[in-house]
Amino acid sequence: MNWIQVLLIAAIVSLLFYLLRSRTNAKTRAWVKVGYLFFVIAAVYAILRPDDTTVVARWLGVDRGADLIGYALIVVFIFTTMSTYMRFKELELKYARLARAVALQNARMPDDAGEVRAG
Amino acid sequence: MTYQDVWIVVPAFNEASVIGDVVADLRSVFGNVVVVDDGSRDGTSAAARQAGAHVVPHPVNLGQGAAIQTGVEYARARPGARVFATFDADGQHRVKDVMAMIDRLTAEDLDIVIGTRFAAGPPPRMPLLKRVVLQAAAWLSPSSRRLHLTDAHNGLRVFNRTVADDLNITMNGMSHASEFISLIAENHWRVSEEPVEILYTDYSISKGQPLLNGVNIVFDGFLRGRMPR
Repeated sequence: MNWIQVLLIAAIVSLLFYLLRSRTNAKTRAWVKVGYLFFVIAAVYAILRPDDTTVVARWLGVDRGADLIGYALIVVFIFTTMSTYMRFKELELKYARLARAVALQNARMPDDAGEVRAG
Repeated sequence: MTYQDVWIVVPAFNEASVIGDVVADLRSVFGNVVVVDDGSRDGTSAAARQAGAHVVPHPVNLGQGAAIQTGVEYARARPGARVFATFDADGQHRVKDVMAMIDRLTAEDLDIVIGTRFAAGPPPRMPLLKRVVLQAAAWLSPSSRRLHLTDAHNGLRVFNRTVADDLNITMNGMSHASEFISLIAENHWRVSEEPVEILYTDYSISKGQPLLNGVNIVFDGFLRGRMPR
């Protein structure tokens, strides 16, 4: 197995675990920001010296730097999709609880009970 | 009237044509019926109230699981409520099955009694594919197998205060049935099954969920527990 294969599989599996276990809290949000900072630095470097990505790719057993970036893109895309999905599920639950509170406040007694109370 | 301490929870979505009869049928035996109108766009609320039900209207459509949770929260806050039942709005359940299940609950000191369609072989008029999928679902669920339950997706359930107080359904859609079973296993509620008959009318078949929804139910099951509760 190539190094890139090991890395990609490890990335996908660890992201899955990370996502399924983590609750969105201040700490994880901070790590996301740190991760983004590293991404910006790496991106600027890759833009200025594109040939260096091929060097890194060769270390990992990939022919071209462009391919390496393509693989990274796939992993990031899966990560984004999964975290959005989890976020939506959480919001759905909060939304349901809000709607439930509204519903319980608007509960109506049966018609006949209303008549008894009125009479 | 007897059954003063019993509350029947009926989740309903666009059932105006049948809800009146279903509620009236229930009310011939049970005084307390609460219909959770899950954001219907027809006259479900009005029909249910006319037939003598309490109505809790969801402002938007949330799904059957959410409606059951709302109904149980309403019922458990009512004074004197001790026994609770979930009952589908489409007229597929029989009132006398609920009565038998309440007898079981009290006689055998159980926390929850769940209806099963498969006690005496497959029911008549059940589509073959549906039968295969439902039995596979019961067999595939670890909690269902451990608890020896044969029909995880039956809408008919009778339970006591212990279950009602701790009930917290987070799966808004149709996955709540499997979630119910998982909650039984996690909380060590004493559970038993009661054979019930499902009336597969053309109406209830037309309102039934598509079998493909089983895929969603299985996937939701993996995610459960990773959600804030």
